[in-house]
Amino acid sequence: MKFKILLKASLFALLCFYLLPAMAQNKTISGKVTDLETGTPLVGVTIAVSGTSAATNTDVNGSFKLTVPAASNTFTVTYVGYKPQQISITGTSTYNIKMEPVINALDEVAVVAIGYGSQSLKEVTSAVSHVDAKDFRQSGSRNALDLIQGKVAGVNITRTSGTNPNSGVSVQLRGVVTVTGSASPLIVIDGIPGGNLDLLQQDDIESIDVLKDGSGAAIYGTTANAGVILVTTKKGRSGPPRFDYSTYFRKEYIQRRQRFLTADEYRQRIASGDIVQKDFGSSTDFLDQLINHDNLSQNHNLALSGGTDKTTYRASINYRDLQGIAKANARKEYALRFSLNQTGLNDRLKVQVDLATNFNNANLLGGSGWEEEQTKNPTLSNFNPDGSYRFDLTSTNQYARLFQETSYRKQQTSSADAKADLTITKDLTGTVFGSVLRDSYVDGQYRLKASENSLENTAFPGGGYAYRGTYLSQDFAFEPTLTYKKTIAKVHNVTALVGYSYRYHIDETFSADNRGFINDLFHEDNLAQGTALSLGKANESSNKSDNTLIALFGRVNYAFSSKYLAQFILRREGSSRFGDNHKFGYFPSASAGWVLSEEGFIKQIPAINYLKLRVGYGVTGNSGFSNLASLVTLGGGGIYLFPDGSYNQTYGPNRNPNPDLRWETKRELNIGADFTLIKNRLTGSVDVFKRTTKDLLDTYTSPQPPFIQSSIYANVGTISSRGIEIALGYDAITHKNFKWHVDVTGSTLKNTLDSYSNDQYKVLFKTFGGIGGAGALGNAITTYEGGELGEFWGKRFAGFTSDGKWLFYNRNGDKVTNDKINNSADRSVTDLAKIGNAIPKYYASLLNNFSYKNLNLRVFLRGKFDYDILNTTALSYANKTWSGNLLKSTFDKYKDIKDTYMYSDYYLEKGSFVKIDEVTLTYNFKMNNKFIRNLRVYVSGQNLATITGYTGSDPDFISDTGTGPGIDNRSAYPSTRSFLLGLNVGF
Amino acid sequence: MKNKLIIYAALTGIILVTACKKQLQEHAYNSLIADNFYNNKTEVLSAVLRPYTHANAWVTPSGQDSWWRAAELSGDQLAWPTKGRHGEDGGKWKRFHYHTWTTDEGGLNSAWSLMYWGMGLCTDPIEQLNKRDISRMGITQTEKDSYIAELRLLRAFTYLKLMDLFGNIPIVTQIGIPAKPETKSRAEVFKFIESEIKASIPAAPKLSKTQIGRMSQAGAYAMLVELYLNAEVWTGTARWDDCIAAADQLITNAGGGPNGALALDPNITDQFKTTNDLSKEAIFSIAYNYSVANFEPSWPGEFYHFKQQQIYGGGRNGNDGVVVIPGVYTTYDGVDQRRSNWLLIGTQYQFADGVTPVTGSEEYNGQPLVFVDNIRKNKTGSTVSTMSEGEENSGVRFNKYKLGNQIPGPGGNPPIDPNYNNTDWNIYRLTWIYFAKAEAIMRKNGGAADAVACQLINDCKKRAYSTLDWATKAYTPATLTLDELLAERGREFIFEGFRRDDLIRFGKFTTGTWWDHVPSAPFRALYPIPQQQINLNANLKQNPGY
Repeated sequence: MKFKILLKASLFALLCFYLLPAMAQNKTISGKVTDLETGTPLVGVTIAVSGTSAATNTDVNGSFKLTVPAASNTFTVTYVGYKPQQISITGTSTYNIKMEPVINALDEVAVVAIGYGSQSLKEVTSAVSHVDAKDFRQSGSRNALDLIQGKVAGVNITRTSGTNPNSGVSVQLRGVVTVTGSASPLIVIDGIPGGNLDLLQQDDIESIDVLKDGSGAAIYGTTANAGVILVTTKKGRSGPPRFDYSTYFRKEYIQRRQRFLTADEYRQRIASGDIVQKDFGSSTDFLDQLINHDNLSQNHNLALSGGTDKTTYRASINYRDLQGIAKANARKEYALRFSLNQTGLNDRLKVQVDLATNFNNANLLGGSGWEEEQTKNPTLSNFNPDGSYRFDLTSTNQYARLFQETSYRKQQTSSADAKADLTITKDLTGTVFGSVLRDSYVDGQYRLKASENSLENTAFPGGGYAYRGTYLSQDFAFEPTLTYKKTIAKVHNVTALVGYSYRYHIDETFSADNRGFINDLFHEDNLAQGTALSLGKANESSNKSDNTLIALFGRVNYAFSSKYLAQFILRREGSSRFGDNHKFGYFPSASAGWVLSEEGFIKQIPAINYLKLRVGYGVTGNSGFSNLASLVTLGGGGIYLFPDGSYNQTYGPNRNPNPDLRWETKRELNIGADFTLIKNRLTGSVDVFKRTTKDLLDTYTSPQPPFIQSSIYANVGTISSRGIEIALGYDAITHKNFKWHVDVTGSTLKNTLDSYSNDQYKVLFKTFGGIGGAGALGNAITTYEGGELGEFWGKRFAGFTSDGKWLFYNRNGDKVTNDKINNSADRSVTDLAKIGNAIPKYYASLLNNFSYKNLNLRVFLRGKFDYDILNTTALSYANKTWSGNLLKSTFDKYKDIKDTYMYSDYYLEKGSFVKIDEVTLTYNFKMNNKFIRNLRVYVSGQNLATITGYTGSDPDFISDTGTGPGIDNRSAYPSTRSFLLGLNVGF
Repeated sequence: MKNKLIIYAALTGIILVTACKKQLQEHAYNSLIADNFYNNKTEVLSAVLRPYTHANAWVTPSGQDSWWRAAELSGDQLAWPTKGRHGEDGGKWKRFHYHTWTTDEGGLNSAWSLMYWGMGLCTDPIEQLNKRDISRMGITQTEKDSYIAELRLLRAFTYLKLMDLFGNIPIVTQIGIPAKPETKSRAEVFKFIESEIKASIPAAPKLSKTQIGRMSQAGAYAMLVELYLNAEVWTGTARWDDCIAAADQLITNAGGGPNGALALDPNITDQFKTTNDLSKEAIFSIAYNYSVANFEPSWPGEFYHFKQQQIYGGGRNGNDGVVVIPGVYTTYDGVDQRRSNWLLIGTQYQFADGVTPVTGSEEYNGQPLVFVDNIRKNKTGSTVSTMSEGEENSGVRFNKYKLGNQIPGPGGNPPIDPNYNNTDWNIYRLTWIYFAKAEAIMRKNGGAADAVACQLINDCKKRAYSTLDWATKAYTPATLTLDELLAERGREFIFEGFRRDDLIRFGKFTTGTWWDHVPSAPFRALYPIPQQQINLNANLKQNPGY
């Protein structure tokens, strides 16, 4: 297999060399670049000779020197925040260039990644959002996507595990596109498809681009349904060697604790007869005992970069120690990222090599058990009178666990990629890209012989518990492309790309555990010593699976006089997961743009500086589902007695096969506009979209008989969403010393499940969102065919009887007791009704950026609006039927209940909130010495306040993505307010 | 130049594309692809035995919504009341108890689905065995015929229990064909089952030590007994003589026995203890073994309290679910050992020392757990007794099957049970055959018992009494009325999944009143065909009344 790839690569290289034409002679240009207003030298300005790959950057004095082909006649000077210039190469060889700053205009030179290449933002015809490092959140990311939370309209990034350092984010772009398929966007890091976010340190990221619509994402075919996020890391620039060191220290404080009774209050309630419970005599704040009040997180990053005009490099090393608000809940990482770029063969060959690795030591023991601890009878203690830990069969001593158990993960994630660009002719470039991504970890757990888990195990009481698990996943990608770029008759700009993509994923797991150890010496390091193994009661499992994606793709971009723009994409892709009858699919897209501001009649309007209309339509797919789903397989059905008296595994058919299984298909229409108005002070973009995902994969109920299994994995349903996204930037004040810039994003969306049936399979409704807790309350959300996603369906609260029993409205509006309620899902008879919706109707963010001289203040607000949350904590713990601790509201707002747990609109609350997400104060020292190039110090506060009427846990951390959102988590990771002190220094 | 380029590009393209298709083949590293199976006798057996592990899920109280729950929780002996914050469960237990289930009742669809799945797991190996050459499978023709007969019997059993719940159901004997099978009347289904059983008996293995936990000729006769006992209800035509004849086949050991000749166990514990694979009366059971195979009985979840392990010295607890309806306990007389041995009531003590009370974890958190013969909120002094008003200790509890003890009792007595958690679940046992034969005799006789009928019941019942007590307890033709037989059936077969059928056969199911239940409409004697299935298959007809 690998040999084949090699063969293809060499074949391709051969092809490129074959077409290599003759070389030409060179000359040298040099000069200095300064700021037009202040006259200060500009460092890192890009000097590039048009039509060649010859380019360099200015050094620390703003100087440059560049060898250019003799035939060259112009070069461009570009720098972020300045107007680019095109300068003719005249007889002289020295150029003094003054650059004019542009404040916040739609950047003339801003380049966005679009997959297998990049494009000027001005020429983009699909919905792409670009976020630069300077716009990142300063909260000290735990995951790279934290950096852009709330920054991109239409992208919801939710931390359902709060600030737990060992947790990721859930990302959803433009609503729900799938029910069972992969719902996460494709991450592409420097061209590595399916890149691992663990390999990204915030200081290494140059920018993040989001391909939001199908017309742009189609280039990634069957992995692009949930959108594509392209991450570009920082690269070296030619010039003197640079060191950049950045660091932060962060401290977190718990906030928004739910108000349960204190031990004294609990005692009073017992005394007053409000509750009939036992006073065990102690006073314990159980939740607080899990809190790591001494937490302090830190991050250090040192980047070394530099190079010549032919070779540039950047290496960065990172250390971070993230400590959670919970005890035994931490993550230490050592990361390295290296990139090398070299130009050769008379500037015709550019080779880039990137290496990244991350060593992670995570403590996975703590960070859970919140529900259990805050709802224990507070007159209990974690200890027995003799000082030993108190154990109890129906609860876990979560505090003791922290000292009697270990659970860690030792992980290494690495990636390597190489890319070679060969300029075959002036217009034709061949590129070969290959990457390897490898993620592996070893998990280990041990529970002491004296631990609760060990003592309460009845098979091997007091015998300890040891576990070890390993995981290895590898991803290979090989993607050669050819790019043809040509300007015809000065007005027709054509860029054409063709490519091939081969992607292979494999993962392997192994795990084993054992009990019955005679002492605690070995932990999980000598697993075989436990007796459970010899008695056949130890567990062991291993697994391996792989899948392959193969594609051919092409893209054509066409621009006429920078006025009329168009893009066409076609990808043909196949996956090993698809059924035999549908191995390959086609994913086309087309988009067009019209730069109105280039038209004479608009040019006359002074308020309009730039205006582009875009329209795009694209088809993408989703191959993110389980392996072997299309085959007839036999599965283990459990062990049974064989005639010889032995017990062996039994095998029977474990799925209804579906040879027609194929990808989910999304079609999306996007209409948008990008504009710059009022003397470049107002910039923005607006997008309106409608997307429909057809052939939704799900397990559909199959008629029994004649099918064996009750379900079959099939492509049946349709889900759609439509919405509007707005992003605006406004320079409110642009005084020389005082500047005030405002960024606003907003989005709204309507997501419906259009159909879930065809002539073979019928699903009239689906339910989502398990309520959990005692009483088996089932799912809170019912989505009917044709209905909106996220709808809460349930009983409508009508009051209580005089003895505290629930009353609900039936369909006729009469108040009836619970047993008279018809719970059927059939809408023609049921008493259940739509009682709310869990999906926020509006998302918005507001960034205020104030600078006064060297001082900068950033205030970032985020919010979600117009939706409902099911307050499950109140449902379970504001009801006196619970024997442990109760919410204080049990005795006021919820005092009338004398009945069991019931799900109804009584527990739905408005979830809308506005959060002061970040306030950062930065001071940039003006450095004028040889030793320090730049110095920046900042303090930042995160999650400072949440303005909401919601009474449960922090609404920001309650899931708002997927098909079952809006159910509060009884065991939510505590919300924290954090403060961070940071420093960046360059020398 | 350009032409050259196009040619090269096309060439590269072709090479790449042709390489593609093969590479998109799926690899099954940890699953079996069906075509590569049935290569030796062990593989054949592993397919033949697959439907039994599945039957564990639907025919025993396994914690799943299936046949057992539907067959017991709508009756007058068992219920799953709401207990404090637990057990409301969407009202499904109340709908069983009140007979107010809906046509789209999730639990009934789940039962249908699990049972037809089990049916498919029988048909699939029948088809596979039939289409393969015996030499390839490494079995003899006799073995092949025997496996197929056994699978057909187990399939007939599945249909029997489906018919019991739903009455009019589709009959399918091939996987996937026909695509939309149509409803057959209960009489037709009855006929199909009867003919399948009769056709399979000759080739089927006799019950023996090596056939424990599987279908056999004995199982076949037991099915015939059940069919004929209920024939009047199920087809409108009584078959009492056929019932007696089938029962006699078993009584005369014509179908074989699990441990020597089939015979009543001498006591009321051999059938339910951890070594009940040695029982003489078990005809068909699900064979669990935790000691060597980690295949454990499924019922603890259904019956056990959250801290039950402390009571019996084992390791398994439950959901504090199914309890005995108030008043059932007192239908046993005080010296009936089935009451003390099969039911749990009163203060519970730690198995380890026998004196420390087990404490509760809900209403009685930190206080002694005392099971009571009532379902009401005693903690707050309430006397309201309904399905909604339970507490964690409400109701007398299941103790019929024993899991054994993992830790020694006080002073090492009893010692650790080496067969802990190995207890089999009996589906048919000879006692039940005795009762069926006695009933057939009585019904044939206009409801009056004769000496033979009395002898059959007395042979069973006397095991529950000391010799001294038994003297006054034996039935005579005068005392063994049909009503008394129903009551005695209740005492003997409590928890065993027959109560709904008994109530229907005795005309009490929809007319009777018990505890929190009032009479329901006659059509409730059949469950509705799940609406979910009708939505998928328009050829299914809903049962009358729904």
